[in-house]
Amino acid sequence: MQDILTVVNLSKRYGSRQAVAALNFHICQGEIFGLLGPNGAGKTTTIGMLTGLVDPSGGQVMIDGLDLRQNPLKAKAKIGFVPQDFAFYPTLSARDNLIFFGRIYGLHGRLLRQRIVDTLDMVELTDRAGHAVSTFSHGMKRRLNIAIGLLHHPRILILDEPTVGVDAHMRQTIFENLKALNKRGLTAIYTTHLMQEAQHLCHRVAILDKGNIIATDTPSALMAASGKGIIRIRLSKPALREQMAPLAELGSLTLFDSTVLHIQLTADTADNIFEKVAVLAEKADISIKGIDILEPSLESVFLHLTGRSAMIDDASFPDNQKPGVEDDP
Amino acid sequence: MIQHIFAVTVKELQVLWHDREALALLFIMPVFFILVMSLSLEGVYGGGSREQPLEILAVNEDQGQAAGKVILDLGKMERLTVVEFLDSAPVTLRKAQDLIRTKKYRLALHFGDHFSERIQSESHDNTIEAPVISLMVDPAMNLQLVSSLRGTIQGVVERHLIMARLPHIVHQGLSGLGEQGSPEMAQMLNALTPQLEDIFLNADIGSLGSRRVSLQVVPLRSLVNNRQPTSTEQNVPGYTIFGVFFIVLTLASSFIQEKNDGTFQRILTAPLSKAALILGKLLPYYLVNLVQIALMFAVGVAFFDLRLGNIGALFLISLALSASANGMGLLVAAIGKTEAQVNGLAVLLAITLSALGGMMVPVFLMPGFMKTMSLFTPHAWALSGYHDVMIRGLGVSAVLEEAGVLLGFSVLFFLIALWRFRFE
Repeated sequence: MQDILTVVNLSKRYGSRQAVAALNFHICQGEIFGLLGPNGAGKTTTIGMLTGLVDPSGGQVMIDGLDLRQNPLKAKAKIGFVPQDFAFYPTLSARDNLIFFGRIYGLHGRLLRQRIVDTLDMVELTDRAGHAVSTFSHGMKRRLNIAIGLLHHPRILILDEPTVGVDAHMRQTIFENLKALNKRGLTAIYTTHLMQEAQHLCHRVAILDKGNIIATDTPSALMAASGKGIIRIRLSKPALREQMAPLAELGSLTLFDSTVLHIQLTADTADNIFEKVAVLAEKADISIKGIDILEPSLESVFLHLTGRSAMIDDASFPDNQKPGVEDDP
Repeated sequence: MIQHIFAVTVKELQVLWHDREALALLFIMPVFFILVMSLSLEGVYGGGSREQPLEILAVNEDQGQAAGKVILDLGKMERLTVVEFLDSAPVTLRKAQDLIRTKKYRLALHFGDHFSERIQSESHDNTIEAPVISLMVDPAMNLQLVSSLRGTIQGVVERHLIMARLPHIVHQGLSGLGEQGSPEMAQMLNALTPQLEDIFLNADIGSLGSRRVSLQVVPLRSLVNNRQPTSTEQNVPGYTIFGVFFIVLTLASSFIQEKNDGTFQRILTAPLSKAALILGKLLPYYLVNLVQIALMFAVGVAFFDLRLGNIGALFLISLALSASANGMGLLVAAIGKTEAQVNGLAVLLAITLSALGGMMVPVFLMPGFMKTMSLFTPHAWALSGYHDVMIRGLGVSAVLEEAGVLLGFSVLFFLIALWRFRFE
């Protein structure tokens, strides 16, 4: 499939701080590509560089064959951007907002009018088209925010955490809209710190942490690589990796900060895991503060790769996908 | 309840403290007002001020001594400086007119060659013309000031008139007593003179059979028929400029709002340049300024019979003035980081620059350093341009300098603003 977006060695430095370090990835036509990572991972800076808002310190962004730096206006015409916050004019009507944004993308006359009708219909705002946006509900504003990004039929739509602050129903509606658009050929980059969203929506994902891509693949491939899930053991006191040796028979071990141990479970070891861990921990002479078991998911992949949860702050995430509650001694 | 009030108060103080620039403006603004307004208004009352007396040229063509004495007396007044000599040469009529035309001086008194002779003559002597003093003024001079100055000069002149006529009047009055010209009579007359002076100073000139001195105000370079400008013609340009610069507040607030709302960021992901965005954003405000100017002048024409003068020249100044106001608006938007800062700065600039630029007090009445400072305000140049067109009756070529300086201000404001401006 044809690449719509190619990123080569893209980096951004703010003074002495490296916000994004040498990113490399590509997005194929018709793909929904997830850019995942916790807050502060570098997602917003990356999105800024992909949309031309932030000047990269190095590297290249190619959009549908056009270098964003060398042909910024032509390249930008192929992008649709949906920012995290509402960015439109609340005193204008939905239609007037769409007219303005359509015009700056070069749409005029009958084509513009038709696109506005279609877009308003798609986001179910036709009956409120003439009303001032300030009178809209949060969900309606969210839909208008997305509609503005779609109006000019971009080659690639970049959505920056579009579901922040929306309820479950609205989130589902947004997903359905995006999936429907994707079926009609829309290519999209979807940034989120919610792994479940990416798992649900994206064909491929890149996991970002501290400005680096730490994994890129399809959600299923990434989850398969994490085996039957991850068991996360918090130790009461720091331990050496050698000390953990008896637990290695349960799966591959990763020790973070000498106090958190991850064991990537396999099909053979997943059963009766608590008993096995208890026995082996006693054998290894380590004291356990808490244990979590994470089913195979992008969250468990992220946790396994970084030792941290990507969604720790998100209260809206379903309980069955949250990291387990630790048992304090 | 008290705890809640306390909590809210503490929070609000913290918010204020975090925007220290806005907080500072709240204190700087009144200090600026006091300084600028006090210094500039100092000269309004009494014609000038002690520190910055009103300068008036004196053209003395009188063959007698009366004009010289009047000039000497006027020169003793605290609020007036009478300039009789320039480069050690007496000021001539032509020189005085040229200096007023070139706006180097605003006023000149002209005493004709027979001034002394005429004030000595009897009011009923029709063979001798009445004495006349011409007060030549720049037409753009504040009318109230001219009127006040006229009264002051008239007072001094009439006092001299009485003094010059006193011996003759007393002699006439005492002629009925006989033995005219006797040494005793002369002695008595001398002894009575100081008391008589007091009496005559409060007397009506006409009742003394004396001629009245006609003090004629002659505006130079005025429009039709060398007429005097109306107060509307003097005030409308000032108020117009004052109003035009209020666009700074509206414009800068709009930029800050777009920054805060993230619409600038969103627009910049679209295929348009930053220059297009800024120009597109400024153009409506520029048009608003032009409509504002047209409306204010239209009101002047409709209700006060305002004469606009050369429309091309007026349009040129208006275009340049609006450009500088827009430039200043963008500059404020670039400097101010918060809405509060922008509001404070815009109001501070609107009021203080207007005062400094001569919108409230004529620049020539201000102290020397403030006169110099006024040259660094677009307001002063715009006012000078409008006065040139509407009051002095000049055309496009005469206002090219003012228009050029205003455009220079615009370019300067835009360059600094674009250097400092951030879209995020």
